[in-house]
Amino acid sequence: MKTFAYAFLAVALFTGVTTQAQSADEILATYFENTGGEQQWRALSGMKMNAKVNQQGMEIPLEIYQLKDGRQMTVVKFQGKEIKQGVFDGETLWSTNFMTMQPEKGDAETLANLKLNSNDFPDPFLDYKEKGYTVELVGTETMEGAETFKIKLVKEPITVDGQTREDVSYYYFDAENYVPIAVESEIHSGPMKGQTQLITFSDYQEVGGLYFPFSMSQGIKGGASQPITMEQIELNPEVDTAAFAFPAQTDGENKQ
Amino acid sequence: MRKLMAWMVLAGLGIAWPAMGQQKDTLRAANLFGDMKARHIGPALMSGRINDLEVHPANPRILYVGSAGGGVWKSGDAGTTFAPVFDDYCQSIGVVTLDPSDPDNTIYVGTGETWTRNSVSVGCGLFRSRDAGSTWESLGFENSERIASVIVHPENPEVIYVGVLGALWSDSEERGVYKSTDGGETWERILYVNPRNGLADMAMDPTNPDVLYASMWEFRRTAWSFESGGGSSALYKTTDGGRTWNKIHNGFPEGQLGRLAIAVAPTSPNVLYTVIEAEKPERKGLYRSDDGGQNWKQLNNDFEITVRPFYFSRIVTDPRNPEVVVKAGLSGSISRDGGKTFKNLGNMHSDIHDIAFSIVDSDIMYVATDGGLYRSWDGGNTLEINEDLPLSQFYHISVDDATPYNVYGGLQDNGSWYGPSSSPGGITARDWNSVGGGDGFRVLKHPTKPVIYSEMQGAENVWRYDTEKQLLKTIQPQPTAGVADLRFNWNAPMALSPHQPDRFYMGSQYLHRSEDMGDTWEVISPDLTTNDPAKQGQEDSGGLSMDNSGAENHTTIFTIAESPLDEQVIWVGTDDGNVQITRDGGNTWTNTSGNIPGLPANTWVYHIEPSVHDKATAYAVFDGHTRGDMTPYAYRTTDYGASWTSITTGEVEGFARALQEDYENPDLLFLGTEFGLFITLDGGLSWTPFRNNMPPVAVHYLELHKGTNDLVMGTHGRGVIILDDISPLRELSREVMESTLHFFRTPPTVMDETSNFGSSTVSTEFVGANRSTRAQIRYFLKSRHTFGKMTMEIRDAEGNIITTLEPGKQKGLNVVEWGYRRKPPKVAKGKTFSFGAFTAPTVPAGTYTAVITKGRETFEHPFELVYDDRSGLTAAQREQKYRTTMELYDMTQELAYLVYQVDGFLEQAEKAGDKRNQKKLQDLKETLVITTGDNYVGAATPQLREKMADLYSKVAGDYDVPSAADLDNLALISARFEKAKADFEGIRPRVKGGNALQLASFEEFLEMD
Repeated sequence: MKTFAYAFLAVALFTGVTTQAQSADEILATYFENTGGEQQWRALSGMKMNAKVNQQGMEIPLEIYQLKDGRQMTVVKFQGKEIKQGVFDGETLWSTNFMTMQPEKGDAETLANLKLNSNDFPDPFLDYKEKGYTVELVGTETMEGAETFKIKLVKEPITVDGQTREDVSYYYFDAENYVPIAVESEIHSGPMKGQTQLITFSDYQEVGGLYFPFSMSQGIKGGASQPITMEQIELNPEVDTAAFAFPAQTDGENKQ
Repeated sequence: MRKLMAWMVLAGLGIAWPAMGQQKDTLRAANLFGDMKARHIGPALMSGRINDLEVHPANPRILYVGSAGGGVWKSGDAGTTFAPVFDDYCQSIGVVTLDPSDPDNTIYVGTGETWTRNSVSVGCGLFRSRDAGSTWESLGFENSERIASVIVHPENPEVIYVGVLGALWSDSEERGVYKSTDGGETWERILYVNPRNGLADMAMDPTNPDVLYASMWEFRRTAWSFESGGGSSALYKTTDGGRTWNKIHNGFPEGQLGRLAIAVAPTSPNVLYTVIEAEKPERKGLYRSDDGGQNWKQLNNDFEITVRPFYFSRIVTDPRNPEVVVKAGLSGSISRDGGKTFKNLGNMHSDIHDIAFSIVDSDIMYVATDGGLYRSWDGGNTLEINEDLPLSQFYHISVDDATPYNVYGGLQDNGSWYGPSSSPGGITARDWNSVGGGDGFRVLKHPTKPVIYSEMQGAENVWRYDTEKQLLKTIQPQPTAGVADLRFNWNAPMALSPHQPDRFYMGSQYLHRSEDMGDTWEVISPDLTTNDPAKQGQEDSGGLSMDNSGAENHTTIFTIAESPLDEQVIWVGTDDGNVQITRDGGNTWTNTSGNIPGLPANTWVYHIEPSVHDKATAYAVFDGHTRGDMTPYAYRTTDYGASWTSITTGEVEGFARALQEDYENPDLLFLGTEFGLFITLDGGLSWTPFRNNMPPVAVHYLELHKGTNDLVMGTHGRGVIILDDISPLRELSREVMESTLHFFRTPPTVMDETSNFGSSTVSTEFVGANRSTRAQIRYFLKSRHTFGKMTMEIRDAEGNIITTLEPGKQKGLNVVEWGYRRKPPKVAKGKTFSFGAFTAPTVPAGTYTAVITKGRETFEHPFELVYDDRSGLTAAQREQKYRTTMELYDMTQELAYLVYQVDGFLEQAEKAGDKRNQKKLQDLKETLVITTGDNYVGAATPQLREKMADLYSKVAGDYDVPSAADLDNLALISARFEKAKADFEGIRPRVKGGNALQLASFEEFLEMD
């Protein structure tokens, strides 16, 4: 009889999470509530992040810009030089080639897929219905040892090698505090095609009333990952429009 | 939920908690393994058995592979590379089917392989993904064991037909054809014959989805026999979506039937082919109907058509030409005249199970074999193997004490091999060495000599191979006068002694011992089996097609183990349930099998593990699946077998085959089952599945490597999988689990000094992951760190910060790796990169401390770095190398500061219109750093920065002490640097307005981005 009691207790504990389970919308609402409120998030016009990629102790400083209108830019600081990567001015996607130090445009497909994400700032879940996205609570799962809600997000279809594909990602929201601690998605092209990308989030801290993860780790599920940590996040920064524009050929330095 | 229900039932029956009486608390580690992740080393060069292929109906790039024991793999590049998509579920696959209405997303996987050889795995039901394999839902059929066919209605995806072959080893009711009309919510069994008969093959008329053909097969396997065929085997047809079925045997052979294959020509649905196993050899073979099955005509009974129907019963029609048919077989064969004549397919691994034509070009064919996937571009004449499917099926593995250690093992139909556990650039096909033919089983390395023992099936050959001289001797025990014929298991046991390096054991029904590496043998036991004649009729095995391969040899010894603590204590386990022990080196034997409570008599003894902690203690693992008993059985004795106690619980899934005891913590045990790896921290009171990069694949053997504490797993479907350094698990206690942060002991880390040129692997080949050589800082976190800052620093013995690392934040076990290097030097800013300056110098051996700051709390953990003796450097030489490296490191940073200052003064001179000094500074700068060119072939002539950094990088990167040439060059560079500094000091006071210039100090400069 004792064993039965244990068993029932286990069942009760196990199903505990699911009986409290809520809809995806409730989880998302709590997430936004806990991180500053939807109004505050909507009011955000842009972010400038000072970050560092840590490769086994070698720290590479980055400056990342993300703006509400979809513009974005990452400035890598390498041996005192600034190299821009993933710059999008609303029309053109470009990066600095590491060999020639000259700007080069990104391929058309990547650009087209990126444009679809222009309305994702600051968070794809914010007003997702208006964006035409769908979300679904897939269930509860243990991620990073923590109980999480697994939410499937489907955005506009993307194009990969000329073929249309669904843009699906799975977010894991910590069941305790309702912030995402991981996101998974399939890699669609390149040598890692078919494998699953996993990004984890931690070190949430408050900036101007909003909470942001100050630490992220990106890698292949089951494999090694690459951490990136935020040193400072500036909200609604002043930006120089010219910095995003595809420059004329320079003498090799992308002067701001 | 279903799993829990099953668990409750077991718990209620009292099977689950046999150790409840002991006064010990359970200690579970569910979901706490964190960063402890298994790594897969393959190999893929011989790949493994594939059960079923599925091509996408519209996209010729997409192909799915359903493997016999290694899960489902998807290719998006027409079979060039693959990724697994089913790693959370059982890995034995019967069928993969795409929903024709939604082939991009909706996949059905019926588990449990259907080519029913003796070593088949079992399945766990039917699954569906609606998102191309990211997530799966169970659709039931948990007890089906094997699913042979899934057909989804081409227009109505709610209508699904599932063909269940069912249990191989026992009667079962969950067999036949099932239909759902509500998308898999509910199922109705629409064709069922009897508990010995299941669905072998099913086909739908492509023009009329209400017409289906179903071949029903009567079959049964035991550990000692196989029976294919009987009065209830038949081919059925329905024309009303499965409401009524009729036998279509007009033209069939008389008498009993065996396994039948059925194929409908996609372009001519009245053309059917069936392959028939019948009583009379001349009536076996290929039959064709041109009227939808009303009449049949025999076309031929060639060897390739009739060979081993239970293994090769598949026929596939060209999607464009009804006259082209391909038959699976020993070699596989193709007919281009409607089945009248056949020729063999080209060279590839033998034992062909499935064939798929490309949807765009029939010259492109995919072939599933016992040795992986092949692709032909020329209609099956020549075939190339896919090198990206690590599906190898090990029966057994062992390790040696080399650095890095090697893994040895034998494979189903793929010989015997050994390969390294780490290799420059990763472990690739070329790292593996062949050391045996046929079906490989156990492979053992002599403890001290360059000698490997290997074998092929049934000990037909046991080889002793000198790997240095490449000399081979065949050494199996042979019949001797006055002794009964020897009975060897298909997977014949061999064993080494932990005490006598030249001692070698083999087991038939007797235990054979050799003290001279197999040159001479002595029988040191009576027949240790039950010697039950009812289980020895192998020449009659097979049913309608005789199948006496030796695979059913029974009443044999299966496992042998000499105690590591006493060479007189030897354990022997037999396939018919005897657990025998001698405590006097073989003079007297005791059968302890009567002392094992709760174990059905004659249950196969799969593995015995004598304890390293106590010589009266041993563990025994039993496998009842060949009698349809899927219960995991593992027992412990502490009194030489006088009594045994069960140590499994309802938490263990799948029948068990392997157990490994930890060398330090007697409560830490590892159990390998049909569904993966399970770990107990409390001596078997509770078990937790280990799933970090570890699919629930059948684990056939476990070995714990002594030097590294790596748990090495021989899996039957995913090759060798290694769990590196399990030592943190030894420390996991309730106290640890309840502390905010607990650092695990870090053994002194030997700093790796090896270099290599990587591997020349092409990107389409599977590459096994290497063991990390970095220092590992491991800690346990009670809860996941999500809010607030958490950082990690490495400090030296004086407290200087050497570097910062990003700590793991998981609840459970975290591992942070450090390559024992400080940050690279800050380098002068130039026009291009200085590649030498990306080098980070290795720190000297010594004590370092990891400091974690988590919110307001700080946690510290000292650990040791030690030099690798193999490079042969003295302490003085190490000191010299480090000093020179750091001299160049510091010089590089000083030069960076000099250039910073020069730039500052240049700007000032320009601002002040001081043209003369501006020119002087510019001239100086151009000798210090490159000011033109690019990072590739447009590079400018190297200047002081480049020369200095390149020498720094060379000295820091060499394992050896700096050479005389290095030191000469260093003197030259130092002199030039001194002159440059002097030149700058000469110009600096003269720059107009230079006195008022505010520049950063050297220390401030180092902190700048």
